[in-house]
Amino acid sequence: MTSLALTGIKKSYGAIDIIHGVDLAIEPGEFVVFVGPSGCGKSTLLRMIAGLEPITGGELRIAGARMNEVSAAERGIAMVFQSYALYPHMSVYKNMSFGLETARMPKAEIDLRVRKAAEILQITKLLDRKPKQLSGGQRQRVAIGRAIVRDPQVFLFDEPLSNLDAELRVQTRVEIAKLHADIGATMIYVTHDQVEAMTLADRIVVLNGGRIEQAGTPLEIYNTPANRFVAGFIGSPKMNFLNVSVDGRAGEAVTLDLAGTKLAVRGIDARPEGLCLGVRPEHLDVGSDRGTPLGAMIATHVEQLGGQTIVYGSLKDRQPIVATLNGQKSVRAGEELRLTADLAQCHVFDAGGRRVAVQSA
Amino acid sequence: MLVDDVPHRRVHRWTHLRQHLAGYGFLSPWLLGFFVLTLGPAASSLYLSLTDYGLMSAPRWVGADNYMQIATSDPRFRAAMNVTFTYVLLSVPLKLVFALAVAILLNRGLRGLNWFRAIFYLPSLIGGSVAIAVLWRQVFAGDGILNQVLMALFSYEGPSWIANPSTSIYTLIALAVWQFGSSMIIFLAGLRQIPQDMYEAASIDGAGRSRQFFKITLPLLTPVIFFNAVILTIDAFKAFTPAFVISDGTGGPIDSTLFYTLYLYQEAFTNFRFGYASALAWVLVAIIAAFTALSFLSAKYWVHYDD
Amino acid sequence: MTETTVDATGSSPLLRAFAYAAVLAVSFVMLYPLLWMVSSSFKPENEIFSTTSLIPETFTTDAYRRGWNGLSVSFGWMFLNSTVIALLAVVGNLVSCSMAAYAFTRLQFKGRSFWFALMLGTMMLPQHAVLIPQYLMFLNFGWVNTILPLVVPKFLAIDAFFIFLMIQFFRGIPRDLDEAAVMDGAGPLRIFFKIILPLSTPVLATAAVFSFIWTWDDFFAPLIYLNDIEKYTAQLGLRTFVDATAQSDWGALLAMSTLTILPIFILFVVFQRLLIEGIATTGMKR
Ligand SMILES: Nc1ncnc2c1ncn2[C@@H]1O[C@H](COP(=O)(O)OP(=O)(O)O)[C@@H](O)[C@H]1O
Ligand SMILES: [Mg+2]
Repeated sequence: MTSLALTGIKKSYGAIDIIHGVDLAIEPGEFVVFVGPSGCGKSTLLRMIAGLEPITGGELRIAGARMNEVSAAERGIAMVFQSYALYPHMSVYKNMSFGLETARMPKAEIDLRVRKAAEILQITKLLDRKPKQLSGGQRQRVAIGRAIVRDPQVFLFDEPLSNLDAELRVQTRVEIAKLHADIGATMIYVTHDQVEAMTLADRIVVLNGGRIEQAGTPLEIYNTPANRFVAGFIGSPKMNFLNVSVDGRAGEAVTLDLAGTKLAVRGIDARPEGLCLGVRPEHLDVGSDRGTPLGAMIATHVEQLGGQTIVYGSLKDRQPIVATLNGQKSVRAGEELRLTADLAQCHVFDAGGRRVAVQSA
Repeated sequence: MLVDDVPHRRVHRWTHLRQHLAGYGFLSPWLLGFFVLTLGPAASSLYLSLTDYGLMSAPRWVGADNYMQIATSDPRFRAAMNVTFTYVLLSVPLKLVFALAVAILLNRGLRGLNWFRAIFYLPSLIGGSVAIAVLWRQVFAGDGILNQVLMALFSYEGPSWIANPSTSIYTLIALAVWQFGSSMIIFLAGLRQIPQDMYEAASIDGAGRSRQFFKITLPLLTPVIFFNAVILTIDAFKAFTPAFVISDGTGGPIDSTLFYTLYLYQEAFTNFRFGYASALAWVLVAIIAAFTALSFLSAKYWVHYDD
Repeated sequence: MTETTVDATGSSPLLRAFAYAAVLAVSFVMLYPLLWMVSSSFKPENEIFSTTSLIPETFTTDAYRRGWNGLSVSFGWMFLNSTVIALLAVVGNLVSCSMAAYAFTRLQFKGRSFWFALMLGTMMLPQHAVLIPQYLMFLNFGWVNTILPLVVPKFLAIDAFFIFLMIQFFRGIPRDLDEAAVMDGAGPLRIFFKIILPLSTPVLATAAVFSFIWTWDDFFAPLIYLNDIEKYTAQLGLRTFVDATAQSDWGALLAMSTLTILPIFILFVVFQRLLIEGIATTGMKR
């Protein structure tokens, strides 16, 4: 179990800056997930930690020691690639033993380690096969096995599940979580899938455009997103962002106007222009007596998922809005619905997208 | 952090240095070859071309004399140019047309494509060997098989195609065309690259077969044609073995098969006029370079690149 | 290359029959001289020119016996010389060209793109430009009339075509594999030997076969560098045989011609798919 510390980490290719200075401290044994849209620099950051990319600026420390100049093999890190990157010409056994042979470990010790890892991953029967003769899920296990045998301080995963079908993805996700619980090593996991991030992480790091938008536990990220980007990225369907204007202010208390409906809130210290109200679809309700009324919604399209009913529609001022209702609700397109929400679960974002502290009045 | 920066930098340099060392280590055989077998000799032959240099004497500086003599008063150079240009200008287009025609025929989905492809390729593979030149000499001899066949089919008594100065070069052109197979393979690969849905779209648009050929196949194939033409031309300028074997190294009869390279060989290794032969070599390099440059300039007007 | 051929235009049966006939006719005309050569080498001398038939009336291997010992040195000896030279050329090309291709595709070093451009440039430079100084240099080394000038340059990656061929192939090997090996602690040497080379057997085989054939077939370099008949390659021997027999013994000449082509033909039959793909992927001729 090892800690990592990233201080002002930067990466540029020529004149193009890809990573703009990342600060992050990772606790020993922590499972950290980097999540963000495609191209935001997740892989680049991971590869710098691995030692596959030189670090342009800043400092990387592992267990307190500076690692910028240390070669990949000497960092005590193992990596599982998105493509698995299994050596096609070697048997499963050889794939797993290659790194140990490189390190000139005694044969007996190698054998012990490979067999133990194979047992953990239940691939003992496959040891003599070539990667070509394996299914996607089995290859995935071998790739993890290749990482395990080296008994690394830190595991890196770059979108390891994205080549698996949906069912296998869920299954493997659970197994990775179990693996982490069993061996307790520090793990950094890259994904663009928010469900993987939410289910696996001790801590989620949301990246965008080469910067950390927010780092926190999954529920912190969900409940108190630092900004509009994070709020929109985590959660499905996406959070509704509704334009509101400031109708009046009396000391701490502020009245917001949402398509003609007045909402009384407290504690907005931001400039009043360009505010918007963020409400997750699952926090909306229709025809309920509890919660704060948000006005009327005209349903335009309804999706029945069985367990949930998703209603697409718009407010009076034609702003689009989505609501997820529990259970099977008989809502028809064209119907006018009375919306309510718990203001305590709503967020207000300023013109710059930052979440501003707010309480319901 | 600043304090322990210095030793790190040393480590850093070392890992960098190791990368460069590995690169140059793996490249070293080629690098050595480049300097010793290419760059050095090229510079040296450029110098020799400005000297009078035989086996017995040291090089004597003569300035541009060799080039002047080539340009103004060397009838064998003119003969060699004549022969070589005839050869290049006839064999390359013929070879291209043959290769393209057969590739298109094969691409029609004939059964046994792999067999035909192999059969047509075989001559390209063995065509440069002495045995084939020997065979060719026999085919076009006075009592050779060509005349036997002509006799059997048309009762026509042919001449010795090889011994006749006005036909001998054509036997060598025939030998070149006989080796169209490798170009054909490249054309076949090019034809496979043309997406099928283009043809489907065209036939939905009502384009007939010949229109499809001229509007789709040919334009999309022009990069491959261009590439083949350049490579074939360069190779044709460098042809040597068949002329050497067929004419016993003389380029005869009456210099009618005196390929440029053959003339160069004679000057260098029969007459041991190293200076003059070096000048001839650089003239050939210049001709090939000019041809290649012209091709690339012309490409703008007829080669279709999609983007 | 895919093996299924798709008919682009949906030809009619008539056209298809015509195409078939044309292709068959062309292949017959092309193969006829070769078949004639082989069949004539098994005919008695007086039968060679009396009939155009491809099947010998009297089958004899006498021409082979006459040809084999037709020169002061047996052809067997020259075949051995050719084989040794060609095999050394194969080894030289494989070693030096794979190293260069690995450096160009996988290693980061200063000046890489500069050298790469120069390498492509040498592919364009006709050998004639360097021929005479090379000859004089080897003469100075005392290497003329030895096999060294024919073999040593191959160990210096003189045949840039093979570098090019291997670069094309190496580029297709996923970089992830190198990186996985880096994570496994492997350095450039180990990656080259344990990952890249084992995965490159198809291109190595292609390069080996082409090297062998071209060296076997080469006439110019042996003509310049080898003087003594004991050192001759099969090609040189054959051409000496042409002069020596001066058309008096066509049977023996055709028999030896057939023999010098035979190794190439065998390689062609065994490896034709590799060779054809090698040509199709590089777009280079020969
Ligand atoms: N070798 C490179 N040269 C230049 N740009 C690169 C290189 N590798 C990645 N990039 C750029 O860096 C950005 C981040 O890439 P990456 O880390 O792979 O994103 P992610 O993994 O989050 O999808 C992308 O915009 C990509 O185009
Ligand atoms: Mg990525």
